[in-house]
Amino acid sequence: MAIPFNARISMPAEAKAGEIIEIKVLARHPMDRGGQSDGKGGTVPRKILNRLTATYAGEEIFRFDMHTGVSANPFVSFTTKAVASGEIVFEWREDGGASFTRTARLTVT
Amino acid sequence: MLRLAVLLLLAAAPASAEIVSGSSFLSPEMRRQQEDETRNPGFFWVEQGQELFSRRPEAGGEACIGCHAAPQRSLRGAAATYPKLVSERLMNLEGRIEQCRVERQKQPAFGYESPELLALTAYIASLSRGLPMDVAIDGPARPFYEAGRAFFERRQGQLNLSCRHCHDGLVGQKLRGDTISRGASTGYPAYRLEWNSVGSLHRRLRACSLGVRATQFEAGGPEYLALELYLAGRARGLPVETPAMRR
Repeated sequence: MAIPFNARISMPAEAKAGEIIEIKVLARHPMDRGGQSDGKGGTVPRKILNRLTATYAGEEIFRFDMHTGVSANPFVSFTTKAVASGEIVFEWREDGGASFTRTARLTVT
Repeated sequence: MLRLAVLLLLAAAPASAEIVSGSSFLSPEMRRQQEDETRNPGFFWVEQGQELFSRRPEAGGEACIGCHAAPQRSLRGAAATYPKLVSERLMNLEGRIEQCRVERQKQPAFGYESPELLALTAYIASLSRGLPMDVAIDGPARPFYEAGRAFFERRQGQLNLSCRHCHDGLVGQKLRGDTISRGASTGYPAYRLEWNSVGSLHRRLRACSLGVRATQFEAGGPEYLALELYLAGRARGLPVETPAMRR
């Protein structure tokens, strides 16, 4: 069975306008750097999450380009300023073109 | 007088009182990561196990939750009692789940170390998080426990070491990049950085066997089951930590 993609996003549900909030993102992915023999004379292609982006209030607030040195199940945390109530959209791009999206809602008071 | 009382207390304490969890040998940073559900990747396996637990098998039939309703209550503490004797066979939690799957759900076995079995084991063990390890080592389980102890104390492999040489004699010292622990099994299935994944205790034991260049027994086989019982018996009273993080 293939390892299913999954993610844990933790951040406050509410924040005051102008407040700096911390966002923690953990993803489940084997981050296979490839190169192993496939047993048929070829090699297994690289299959990692190569980019994580976070979009908030219509703007890209964070981008993380990942390479083969990043461990499996990559974790990253970053901060942003709370400006407006709305969804923060997280998108992971995988080698081969697949992408995974998760959203988290932030209410600004 | 006080000193005498302390001495007496120390003398009366069981030998297992000195057994400490593998978490005691982690760096403070890694221990914080282990406790933090948002940063411990082992919880992905727990989540997957929870999902599998309530999913009906594709070929039809009952889901685990069909019999084990409200597992947070009904299975709380169950994992702390494994390995145990089930109709005269020594079984660990993995074995018990497979037995349920084959005999009651009438499904093909997942296979030891398969992602599904690891996820279900991690989930069910996580329901006992914080409860003391409580395996039976007396009565019919005694011969298995003694077999496990004999395994632990027997010199093996080209390096001619027994488990106890390191895990009783050199605890706290370094072996490559890691600190030698007491060999407490309280956190398994655990997320090991070396594996980049959750793995079973038997996978860890196979790595130990390889390390002393001894025979690697089959995961789920009688040798490691007896050893697992002995390790769990040694760790009696320590809290279950699944899914723990280990180096």
